[in-house]
Amino acid sequence: MKKSWVVAAIAAVLCVVSAAGAFAAPAAKTLTIGVDQEAVGIDPHIVTAFSSMRRVDLMYNRLVRLDEHLAVVPDLAQSWDIPDNLTYVFHLRKGVKFHNGRELTAEDVQYSLNRILDPKTASPGRSYVSLITSIDVVDKYTVKLHLSAPLASLLDGLTSDNCSIVAKEVVEANGNLQKVDGGTGPFMLKEWVADNSMTLVKNPNYFEKGVPYLDKVIFRVIPEQTSLLAGVKSGDLDLATINDGAIIRQAQKESKVTVMSKPGLNMRIFSFNTARKPFDDVRVRQAVASVLNRSEILAIAEFGMGKPTGPLPVSATQWALPVSKLPFPKPDTAKAKKLLAEAGYPNGFSFKITCSSTYEGGLAVAQVAQNELKQIGIDAQLEVVEWGVYIDKWVKRDYDTMIELRGGSGEPDRFLYRTFYSTGGVNNFLFKNADVDKLLDQGRTQTKPAERKATYDQLQKLLVEQAPCVFLYCPNENQVVSKKVQGFKIVGNGSLFYVTYTKVSR
Amino acid sequence: MGRYIAKRLLSLIPVLFGVSLIVFFMVRLIPGSALEMYMGTQVEATPQQMLELKRIFGEDKPVPVLYVEWIGQILRGDFGFSLRTGRPVLPDIISRLPLSLELTVLSLLISLLIGLPQGIMSSLGKNPFLDLINRIIGLLGLSLPQFWLASLMVLAFSGFAGWIPMGNYIPFSENPLKNLQMLLLPATAIGIGFSAVIMRYTRNSMLEVLQMDYIRTAKAKGLKKNVVIWRHALKNAILPVITVVGFNAGGLLSGSIVIEEVFALPGMGRLALYAIYQRDYPLIQAIVLIIATIFVLVNLLTDIVYALVDPRIRLDEGGK
Repeated sequence: MKKSWVVAAIAAVLCVVSAAGAFAAPAAKTLTIGVDQEAVGIDPHIVTAFSSMRRVDLMYNRLVRLDEHLAVVPDLAQSWDIPDNLTYVFHLRKGVKFHNGRELTAEDVQYSLNRILDPKTASPGRSYVSLITSIDVVDKYTVKLHLSAPLASLLDGLTSDNCSIVAKEVVEANGNLQKVDGGTGPFMLKEWVADNSMTLVKNPNYFEKGVPYLDKVIFRVIPEQTSLLAGVKSGDLDLATINDGAIIRQAQKESKVTVMSKPGLNMRIFSFNTARKPFDDVRVRQAVASVLNRSEILAIAEFGMGKPTGPLPVSATQWALPVSKLPFPKPDTAKAKKLLAEAGYPNGFSFKITCSSTYEGGLAVAQVAQNELKQIGIDAQLEVVEWGVYIDKWVKRDYDTMIELRGGSGEPDRFLYRTFYSTGGVNNFLFKNADVDKLLDQGRTQTKPAERKATYDQLQKLLVEQAPCVFLYCPNENQVVSKKVQGFKIVGNGSLFYVTYTKVSR
Repeated sequence: MGRYIAKRLLSLIPVLFGVSLIVFFMVRLIPGSALEMYMGTQVEATPQQMLELKRIFGEDKPVPVLYVEWIGQILRGDFGFSLRTGRPVLPDIISRLPLSLELTVLSLLISLLIGLPQGIMSSLGKNPFLDLINRIIGLLGLSLPQFWLASLMVLAFSGFAGWIPMGNYIPFSENPLKNLQMLLLPATAIGIGFSAVIMRYTRNSMLEVLQMDYIRTAKAKGLKKNVVIWRHALKNAILPVITVVGFNAGGLLSGSIVIEEVFALPGMGRLALYAIYQRDYPLIQAIVLIIATIFVLVNLLTDIVYALVDPRIRLDEGGK
């Protein structure tokens, strides 16, 4: 019958055509990375999206960088002195070349930092270095920074991709670096097909001899995480960044791939709008903090891939107090009920949890929280919105409570100040607490480690007790790699820097 | 005919003007903005920086003023820059248009390839049981959501055959095999659904035509059955099908957004989707204008084809 012949023919052609011929197998020293989001631009001083930062990781260097243990180590600056707490002197490496061939000097550091500080650039990195009043070129390889006030987090801030050192002539020739490469990094931009793929090639003049081992790195944008996993399995991809818990679980069962997983610096929090009833009453917030079960939420929303945390990411072991040493370590329903009754809500109340179905929007977390809150008579309604609307509500502080994913940091001031200071730039909780402010101001200027640790210990306890949000957990940073990849390491902030030391065996 | 075409082309102007008004104001009704998306929840800016950012993102003037500025730009041929990437908007859209167009054409071809024979066989009524099966399949094709079918196909081919999305679009003229590898699967996802529509129209239209007197005459004249069906019946029955194809072509083109997203195709639809997610107003506006233009042109083309196929129709005589 004509119809069935036609249908069968189509099916046959489909199978043959789709199965035959793969994406041409790349040369042996190429690493293909699968990501689910395209980079919006690649100007290090302008970009905010994580997807963009991952490209900048490989094309640029900073004065200093974070290693796999989140410690500050030299990058372009070979060493540095801090003669007094308002002055930093950096000694640059000699013979570092930009990708256009010119040698990097102190003037480039001066230019880059000035560009970041310039209000016209509107750089997100500005807040990390805003206390710098002047940048002096002492000689060809020495730079001196002057601060208006002590800033203990300066070095950590300078490790940010947003503080990369760029070539002035490339910026001036192109207006900005959104589409071009003005860096010194281990890899150089060769080709960029928007929403599709970006090809980087080895920098033959990279200042560290012998690396990178790879000749080429290709970023491929594949929005479906299932397809990302399929790609690593089939060998079309060598590395894929996957954050969907279910797919990671699947990947762990696959013999053809390896799952690398490490608690990251991102933090899942349950945020309160402290200007709205009933969350203006600290007892109500504490009641919620007493009933939310971190382990349960982690197990269900992230398939257990993460670690419960306090105000500082738990993997930043230098500063972070573990959950056991903070108030409300374990759920206590009786205590929660008592707090609610004291606050005047013995029969609970009803409110909304704003969330989104994107990964950051934490819909699964909201669902578990909703369930747990029922135990103390609180009726939470989920307000699930599109990501753009979510951001809009966040900006306008138009929410009761929200599930958020915050980018934490291993350096306490860098994360805590902007988030919890009464005039902090990302304090969307509208939280104002004089004691918290005092401790934040104190910690940022102290340079003696023991004193600083004492301040931040006190601050962490206070923050959990005052609960502008409930600190839930740090999800793991996951990379799915093929068995052929060697030498790659995960850095807690997601940086792909270790691709510099990665090899692919064939 | 020439005057008629000219008149229809002129009608593009008021249409596009109206579309531009609607898209410009409507898209700004959605909560959120490109600037907010850029800032996200992690970035803090001083009031001075915010002023600068607002200027960069085009949010520093009242909306009607911005509209007039934008229209002025368009009339000079400048479609603006993407808020998300800073690249000029038009070249990006043009580079992705061929894929979406090819996807639409391929889907239509597949749906015709499946639906036409199905509809014809069904109308001949040779086998009532098979006819029933056909009609059920037709109903399924109409009712099953395209995105569901597409997602199922991705899961099946990813999970069992290790399929992953292809990278760059390679035109058919350059490398037919690679081109089809990318587009055949998604085109089938769309084609299966639309073939049901074609099948129904074909079947109903054929049934009607087969009852006509001139068919009986042809049979009486002793013409072979095949000749009757193909030369006489089909040619007349095909007219409503042409109309359906023409009017739906525009819809299929804009509907390809979902399929392109599911199959990760670097087409115009997916560009539009991301533009909407990111509130990239210049890009959204430009894409909508282009799709509106294509719509009008395709409708015109349908009418012309209609007139060519049926000599009884005179386009410029209105309803005589």
